Amino acid sequence: MPRVKSTADRRTLGEVIKRLLLFDLFKGLFLTFSYNWRALYEKRDGGNPNQAIYTEQYPLEAARVSERFRGAPRLNLDPESGQTLCIACDLCALACPVDCIEVGSIRREVREGEKVNKKKVLTTFIFDTSRCMFCNLCSEACPTDCLELTQSFELAVYHRSGFRWDREMLEKGIDYVRYSK
Amino acid sequence: MLGTLTTLMLVAPEWVLRWTKEPRGNAFWAEFVVWPLIQILIVLFIVLTLVAYLVYLERKVSAFMQARLGPMRVGPWGLLQPAADGLKLLLKEDIIPLKADKTVFQIAPIISVVAALVVLAVIPWGAAWATIANVNIGLLFILAVSSVGVLGLVLAGWASNSKYSLLGALRSSAQMISYEIGMGLSIIGALMFARTLSMSGIIEAQQADGVWYVFFQPIGFIIYLVCALGETNRAPFDLPEAESELVAGYHTEYSGFRWALFFMAEYTSMLVTSAIAVTLFLGGWSFPGLGLIKNQTLFVVVSIVIFAAKVMVLIYLYMWFRWTWPRYRYDQLMDLGWKWMIPAGLANIVLTGIWYVLALPKSRGGVFGLMQLGLRDRLAPTRWSGIIYFVVTGFVITIPIIWLVLAAINRRTRDFNLHAQRQLQIKLRAKRLQKHAEPQAAGEGAS
Repeated sequence: MPRVKSTADRRTLGEVIKRLLLFDLFKGLFLTFSYNWRALYEKRDGGNPNQAIYTEQYPLEAARVSERFRGAPRLNLDPESGQTLCIACDLCALACPVDCIEVGSIRREVREGEKVNKKKVLTTFIFDTSRCMFCNLCSEACPTDCLELTQSFELAVYHRSGFRWDREMLEKGIDYVRYSK
Repeated sequence: MLGTLTTLMLVAPEWVLRWTKEPRGNAFWAEFVVWPLIQILIVLFIVLTLVAYLVYLERKVSAFMQARLGPMRVGPWGLLQPAADGLKLLLKEDIIPLKADKTVFQIAPIISVVAALVVLAVIPWGAAWATIANVNIGLLFILAVSSVGVLGLVLAGWASNSKYSLLGALRSSAQMISYEIGMGLSIIGALMFARTLSMSGIIEAQQADGVWYVFFQPIGFIIYLVCALGETNRAPFDLPEAESELVAGYHTEYSGFRWALFFMAEYTSMLVTSAIAVTLFLGGWSFPGLGLIKNQTLFVVVSIVIFAAKVMVLIYLYMWFRWTWPRYRYDQLMDLGWKWMIPAGLANIVLTGIWYVLALPKSRGGVFGLMQLGLRDRLAPTRWSGIIYFVVTGFVITIPIIWLVLAAINRRTRDFNLHAQRQLQIKLRAKRLQKHAEPQAAGEGAS
């Protein structure tokens, strides 16, 4: 006769004693108390999962975003000359799946040293943040690393027209009211 | 309800006699009218403020246990939150359901809160003048009046004309009545030692014996704590207002300040049950070394602070339990009340009685003679041997015996014992396997 014996069904002496002394109840109590105790003396560091209190008081403190977070768009400037890096190649607008970018440009004669070249020059750049889905395809398409999605996420505005960011806003960024605790 | 009536009937004649016989001079008015009124106002003000801040404390404690911050926006660290909440509740619309029993609906929360607040009169907040009324049946009065609280819940559930309310009220009435028995049984052990029902008398008895009764009555204390949780409808026994099942239980239909009254009643009764536990088992306002203070006023103030500190420790314990343990299922709740708490309480009474009788002086039929006549002809355990005897019997003998009793009572039959059932299934499977294997083996042998 095959003997079927499950060891999982038999309690060891240790388990019996644990049951008698209501070990599990006290284990739970110890856990919650340790959290309570740490909450009282630990220095608060919002958004840190290793801390006893995770809460970040967002409007009072800056909220933490992850490194790969994609938020408000920005047009980068050449740090030396202060001119825009954009060459008006329209690749970003072509890459955009929701068509939220409009690049306006003119052909103009530009003097470079002794030569005079006919070049495309950026005039206007309109970025509709209400339609943008922050996929980062535009940024990846950009050959000069000009268009970039930053980590800023406070994009709310009072009127729909505010969602259409023009070139100036994209280059300078919006003036946020910065809160501090 | 019956309890209150009886209490009133017991107390009323004495009041009437006093009123008619004693001269009603200025001293009378000062002693029986003006001074109690001042005390009542102070106690009510402090307790109601405290209750509001208990809500704040509960929110903070729960937040800390759940890695949150809790209320932070109203005032520094959210300290003005109770005021904001109170104001909000006052200004909210008072909704009475169309088909509700209007009068009963309005009276129910009042009954609930009054039953909780009346009890405050006999609680010894501190030594001497810090107690409002030193009634010689204080404890009986508390038990009688606090049992009226359940009437408020039942009426609220009935009058709301809503299924959730009615189910909540049903649950609460069954639960509170069950746990009241266990609660009543748990305090008798301590009363055997105190030999009085007066709340101040119990504290004085503990002072005279030189030990808190929690050391004589560990089982009684544990039963009291558990039953108090059930009695105040707090987690893990918050079945009457289980939000996942009953929306909000008996106060589903209540809004605004009527709801706040129920809330107040809950927290006040929490305070009251903690205060009784402190009085009965933790020595009330007494503390080792308190007698060193010679200044009378300072002595009283310190005694009040000590009492409050002990009560707060117990209240923290309640909150700690609430935010740690999950809610009991309804049959488990009843099981715990009837099959664990009540037998344990009864066994505790019997065992304490045996230890008590054995320790009586030999002239009174005892064996060990570890007690002596103390203040007011009260038998007290002798200074060290008596105390050690009762502590040892309480911890070393009573606890294992009661554990065995409970184990015998709660030994489950096979129908309910999952462990036994699993073993049975395994055996049956083995048999089936055997039957299946045998004919095959026979067939192989033939060919």
